[in-house]
Amino acid sequence: MIDWTSHPFFALLPTAFFTLAIFSFLYKDNPMFKLAEHVFAGLSAGYYFGLIYHSVIRQQVWVPLTQDGHWSVIIPGALGLLMFARFFPRIGWTTRLPLAFVIGSTAGIMFIQQLHGMVLPQVGRTVLPLDSVRNILIIAGVLTTLIYFYFSKPHAGPLGWVASAGIGFIMIAFGAHFGYTVMARVSLLIGRVQFLLVDWLGLAR
Amino acid sequence: MSEERSGQQVLRAPFWQRLQSVDRRILYSLIFASVIIPVLWPLHLPTLVTPESRAFFNAVDSLPSGSVVLFPFDFWPSTLPETEPMAIAALRHCFRKNLRVVGLSNVGMGGPSIADRLLDSIGAEFHKSYGADYVNLGYKANYSAVMLGMGSRIADIFPADHRGTRLEDIPLMRQVPNYDSVKFVLIISDNAMTDYWVALVNARYGLPMVAGVTAIMAPKMLSYMHSRQLMGLLGGMKGAAEYEQLIGRPDKASRGMDAQSLIHFLIIVFIVLGNAGYFMSRRHRTRLGQV
Repeated sequence: MIDWTSHPFFALLPTAFFTLAIFSFLYKDNPMFKLAEHVFAGLSAGYYFGLIYHSVIRQQVWVPLTQDGHWSVIIPGALGLLMFARFFPRIGWTTRLPLAFVIGSTAGIMFIQQLHGMVLPQVGRTVLPLDSVRNILIIAGVLTTLIYFYFSKPHAGPLGWVASAGIGFIMIAFGAHFGYTVMARVSLLIGRVQFLLVDWLGLAR
Repeated sequence: MSEERSGQQVLRAPFWQRLQSVDRRILYSLIFASVIIPVLWPLHLPTLVTPESRAFFNAVDSLPSGSVVLFPFDFWPSTLPETEPMAIAALRHCFRKNLRVVGLSNVGMGGPSIADRLLDSIGAEFHKSYGADYVNLGYKANYSAVMLGMGSRIADIFPADHRGTRLEDIPLMRQVPNYDSVKFVLIISDNAMTDYWVALVNARYGLPMVAGVTAIMAPKMLSYMHSRQLMGLLGGMKGAAEYEQLIGRPDKASRGMDAQSLIHFLIIVFIVLGNAGYFMSRRHRTRLGQV
């Protein structure tokens, strides 16, 4: 007896169907596209629920509490539960407690992260000797772009010229980003076409 | 009658003007054709290796055998055509060098499952065994807590791996209590996680790292290369194709580069013709005194 499910054409049929259903939007909006869209939204929600249940609620709260006797997880567990207090008007205000914790700790972490991980290393590597065209371009690009974003004086006269040079650098950066974006989007199309022609239909190797 | 006349006017519109109002479905068809043709009949166009990709390869290649590599699979299924070839090539390189891989994901939606699939399939190619040569820690919510917490004790963040096995029962993880035992971080990402790995883990723990990112992210990531916070960088499908070339195993990304080159050529032609059409029409209108 033939095992239809092991044949690539049938095994990949649902994937191919949803790919074509999504692509059909290129012609115009239609029920197949809507179906694919709704199935995707529903599956994503279900997948997330299962993942969070197993990887967070079960592994990090339930098992440490019931099997390892780590009573300290009651505190973050209780704070997590308070997030749902907003559904009960009388105790809704308690939601602010976990939110305050999250906002406070995130702000602290992000401040250090931005300063030590981004600003200081990037500024440090902009202090360069003016001994090559590359270095001169980097320094000129940084300075003129910064001046473009200096709005306390009208961009007229020499300041205006420098700011214009800044716009030039920004435009080049936008162009590079746009070029890379095109490459990224095209890659996604290539990936889907490779799937349909090679993996699903087996038209090429 | 007037509709007929306006229809005739459209038909009589100069060639340059018509270039600016080509039906999008014609453009889509041309784009599809330039993908389908090279996928079915490869052109084998050359792909040149950039210094960033070579630096990525050299960084992994210089690691001593047996080193532990932290391998975040921080990408969504939607970017698989770009990120999957990078991850496959990087895993092949790691396993060929007998590096031990600790996989994890900060992307809940599909990340851990993709990590499982790729680690198992590429691990099997090199006869590597789960738990001794590689492991998949899976996903945990809150990336900053994950990245910083693993520096103190990995088991606090991941009490068990993605399959539910406790870390103390996994031979590889018994030797990797925190970042002190990790030699290198190899990030494959399609989102801001690369920034966080750089800013939280490289800045604080000094762990050397390389990143394979989607093409959209590549220009920004170049600044981390310049500041030496990243030792190497793969940008998009082209970066993946370069890496496949460097490890001597051309695969999906290399096959996709023919279509990539053809479409880019087509888009350049569209842009040139569109702009030429715009300027010619403007000149035409100026001559007629309409502007």
